Amino acid sequence: MSENHHFLVQQVGQGDKQALAALYRAYERPVYRFIVSRLNDPHEAADILHEVFMDIWRVAASFEGRSQVRTWIFGIAYRKVIDAHRKRARVTVTDEVPETGDVAEAADAGFAAKQEAEHLRYCMGTLSDEHRSAVSLAFYEDMTCAEIAQIAGVPEGTIKSRLHHAKKLLLHCLSGRIRGRALA
Amino acid sequence: MTRSRDEIELDLPFLVNGTLDAEARAEIEAALAEDPHLAAEHEALAAIRSGMQAEDTKTPGEFGLARLMRDVDRQTARAADHRADAGGARRGVAPFRSRTTLWQAVAAVAVLGIVAQSYFLRPATNLEVNVAPAGYVLAGSEERGALLVGFAAGATEAAIRGLLLDAELEIVAGPSALGLYRLDVLDGADVETATGLLRSAEGIVESVENVRN
Repeated sequence: MSENHHFLVQQVGQGDKQALAALYRAYERPVYRFIVSRLNDPHEAADILHEVFMDIWRVAASFEGRSQVRTWIFGIAYRKVIDAHRKRARVTVTDEVPETGDVAEAADAGFAAKQEAEHLRYCMGTLSDEHRSAVSLAFYEDMTCAEIAQIAGVPEGTIKSRLHHAKKLLLHCLSGRIRGRALA
Repeated sequence: MTRSRDEIELDLPFLVNGTLDAEARAEIEAALAEDPHLAAEHEALAAIRSGMQAEDTKTPGEFGLARLMRDVDRQTARAADHRADAGGARRGVAPFRSRTTLWQAVAAVAVLGIVAQSYFLRPATNLEVNVAPAGYVLAGSEERGALLVGFAAGATEAAIRGLLLDAELEIVAGPSALGLYRLDVLDGADVETATGLLRSAEGIVESVENVRN
């Protein structure tokens, strides 16, 4: 699969539109899901997805194959979303982990939240972009720590730390929302 | 056990998504069996992942692909025009952008034929060498921008804008696929001073390269 995608990128670099279409079909869903999970705006996410593949068309010839095609494409998407956040001048940061709440209780709440996609979406939306990116790549795309680190351009330890904080924030948020609903 | 409990906790997401190697997986699974707190965290992470995986995402699909193909065609056509323009400019003839302008140009040549021929066939003067017609970009012409800059992921647009104003810089191209911008100094500003300001702006600027040096 990976070699096939590498070949497709080479073909795109030579101006092969059909190869670009094949690459689009292979990566559209995961890349779009990654983008929309960070923006919460399907229209803007569609525009950025488009920009990602236009960039692939423009720069495929310079792809040297030192990284996997998947990490290369997600890396482009990662930076595009950072740029979109800058344009919005949006600051969505919830980096402080509240002290209240018990992990075991939150874990139960997290288990219950399996059926609660709405709560999960809401709580993902409260995370900073860095946290959300790490969670999205780890749990939507099932990437290794090394792959996520390469995409974000940071050491693996940073990714583990981001995921650790994101997990605490998510569990706390889910716990609060589900407890709130139970009391209502 | 070779790793601490904290290190094991940091690896839980990768146990959940199945990307750990067999040795690490066995080590963490053994720790989970002995530590109910870790086991609860693992269960919670697995539930979060399941919830995310179960989400149905509606993508742009074939509409998105059609839009992509349309814009690729447009860009390819523009690039072909550009090459034709540049080729024409190098040969000292007028660039043609469409059939209409082609025929207009042919008509003009019919009227001005002798004058035009005598102009284009004469040897170029020193002044004309290396001078491209206004509005055309010659192939191989130098890219704009003295500095190649990467901004920090957390830098806001306001912070970047303030820095660029201080350093008397403007963005002339980018971001590239690698997220890099080309910057140039405003008229009368000093590129070395600007470079120094960028390099001292920790938290905003990640990398600076003077591509003119």
